[in-house]
Amino acid sequence: MKIIKYTTITVLFLTFATIVSCANDDQTGESQLDYTQPTKTTLDNWIDINYLNPYNINVQYKWNQNTVDNSRYLFPPLVSSVQPALEIVQKIWLDSYKAIGGADFVKKIAPREIVLVGGVNLNSVGTRTLGIAEGGQRVTLFETDYIDRTDRANITEFIHTIQHEYIHILNQNKPFDEKAWAAITPVGYTADWYNYSIPASNELGFITSYARSNINEDFAETASVILISTKAEYAAFLAGIKSETALNALKAKEALVVKYFKDAFDMDFYALRDEAEKNTNAVIN
Amino acid sequence: MKAHYLYKYLIIGFIALFIAACTNTDAEQKFEQTPTERLNARKKELNNLLLSAENGWKVVYFTDNTVLGGYTHLIKFAADGSVEMASDFDDDTAVYKSKYDIQLGSTVSLVFTTKNRIHLLSESDNYPIPALRSKGYLGDFQFLYYGQENGEIIFRTNRSNQELRFVKATAQDWTDLHKNIDMIDNVVGDDSRPLFRLLETNDGKTIHKFDFAFSEVTRFAQANSVETGYSVNYDMGIGYSPTGIIVSPAVEVGGQKLSNFVYNDLDGSFTSTGTQGVSATIKYTDKPLVITDDYKILLAGNPNNVYAYIYNLTNTASTNSLLFNTLLTELNSILPTGAQLTRIQPWFNNPDGSNYIEYRFGNASGATIARYYHYFTVSEDAQEKVIVLNPLQWKTSTLATAPSIAAPAFLKKLDAQLMNPQGLYFIKQGGLPYPAFTFTGFNSTFRMTVYPFQ
Repeated sequence: MKIIKYTTITVLFLTFATIVSCANDDQTGESQLDYTQPTKTTLDNWIDINYLNPYNINVQYKWNQNTVDNSRYLFPPLVSSVQPALEIVQKIWLDSYKAIGGADFVKKIAPREIVLVGGVNLNSVGTRTLGIAEGGQRVTLFETDYIDRTDRANITEFIHTIQHEYIHILNQNKPFDEKAWAAITPVGYTADWYNYSIPASNELGFITSYARSNINEDFAETASVILISTKAEYAAFLAGIKSETALNALKAKEALVVKYFKDAFDMDFYALRDEAEKNTNAVIN
Repeated sequence: MKAHYLYKYLIIGFIALFIAACTNTDAEQKFEQTPTERLNARKKELNNLLLSAENGWKVVYFTDNTVLGGYTHLIKFAADGSVEMASDFDDDTAVYKSKYDIQLGSTVSLVFTTKNRIHLLSESDNYPIPALRSKGYLGDFQFLYYGQENGEIIFRTNRSNQELRFVKATAQDWTDLHKNIDMIDNVVGDDSRPLFRLLETNDGKTIHKFDFAFSEVTRFAQANSVETGYSVNYDMGIGYSPTGIIVSPAVEVGGQKLSNFVYNDLDGSFTSTGTQGVSATIKYTDKPLVITDDYKILLAGNPNNVYAYIYNLTNTASTNSLLFNTLLTELNSILPTGAQLTRIQPWFNNPDGSNYIEYRFGNASGATIARYYHYFTVSEDAQEKVIVLNPLQWKTSTLATAPSIAAPAFLKKLDAQLMNPQGLYFIKQGGLPYPAFTFTGFNSTFRMTVYPFQ
């Protein structure tokens, strides 16, 4: 009996204590974090309308040390260089994929962020890094301050970067036939690709010297170089290859790229190339 | 019975636990505010501080004072997140506008988020020397906030963790910034000034001398002691100011740190004055810093020694003076087309006891077309440690039977410098990729570099 009595008293007491113990907690106040939106400039609004809203791509042009390699001597672009650079990317890259792949193609498979850097990313060996694609999520484009709309070679090089990085992103979503690719030019891949001239690499069946770094770069270079070249330019390039083996290798790689676009995304690669050529002309002229 | 006690104790135990658990749940607070509140306060403090300077801030940024000098930036912040900036990085000292932000990283930091002048120091493909390839001028544009002291803001650079101070600027600083650029020529030095340059330190009792060499592309100077047994040297980055230069690290003399040097246009010197007679001066002098007995080997009774200025060897030596180069150009310009002076070759103590300077002329392919010999005797001024070449006859051949000729008029000016009656210093010259000596006029800005054949 006594035990039951004690138990009753205790249970009552514990219930009381539990309720009382919570009665006097501090209420959470307002957040300490600053949630105020920074004032948007005309440029910020333009980015929202042309990149963020239609494609869900954020553009970062202001410096943020977390999205760049801090060991490199880089700097943010001039505010005035940002929109011209983005217009070129929009016209030649986004619009071309939109026309051929469908309105939502880029929205579904796209980098979620484009980071713009003003200057050259010079490596200690003397080569320039033109762009970086990280984990299919972020593309960093360098040399934004040096874009010259009147110079076709300059525009082509800049667009080459985004086309190249986007091929990586496509590959990260759907892999290409790596076995078949590796069998085309089994030798020739090298870490010191920058010591070889482009014509010498061409004669080994590589579209550029950089393509020789590994098969992933080879695929991205092959696809992006075809995309930035006109149909006539690429035909002339192939006509200039002396080695029969090299020519066959280049053609085999081209065929694999075309097959990849068809199988993975049901896209006509040549139509895409023609669209990019049309849009490039529109930018330059 | 036993169960009865067991329950009793258990319940007492639970009650004890309950009460004890509620007594002291709070950790001891070291600060009155939460970390977030403190960070926010610090951000606000920094922003208010940046905005507080009416004429903005002056920053002399020495990115790495072991290889590079200082670059002055004038920076004015505005409440809308924009910033106006001018710098003496190059001739363009105009004011440009960009954006800044106060970001949170390892601590509160100031970041110049879009391009302006300060970013010129962080351009991977714009570097002053090959060793800095891909590193530009080693600059940073994110600065971690460490507080304030005497109205100055103390930052540390994000990458290299160096202290950087923002000092309040004046309206005068903005109007005078271009004068920093005008100062560059004075630091580089002028050919019309005396030949030699030195850093002289005075600790109130002793004077020490250091040679002084300045590199314009890196804004960096090196000064090494010229005294034997005194191996002090000063390496310093140099920043320009409207009135002189600022050096980092400071020149330490007699325990005092001297960093602000004032320019004197009368003699081209830069002086920094401390207290109790301590000072440091970068100045010009006619006399070589090190005067040696090297000339004694040229005196009578020594072996036959031959030296020469050679048109395709010592012609590029930096130790040839402007006066020498000018005289040479002048001489070559009056020679027939294609002809040039290929050698100025003094011969000392020839086997027949003679001494002469051979002036050798060649055609465009270097083949010798004419020779003139000016004979001389050698004497010394042991006090000043110079040799004097006392002129004798001119000849076109060294054969004893060859007749004397009249002094060739076109060689007169150049020859007069070598036959300087006040004498010439003759000193072994280092720093060239071949063995070399220099003949330097005692009281002139003439200096010729020669190669020794022995």
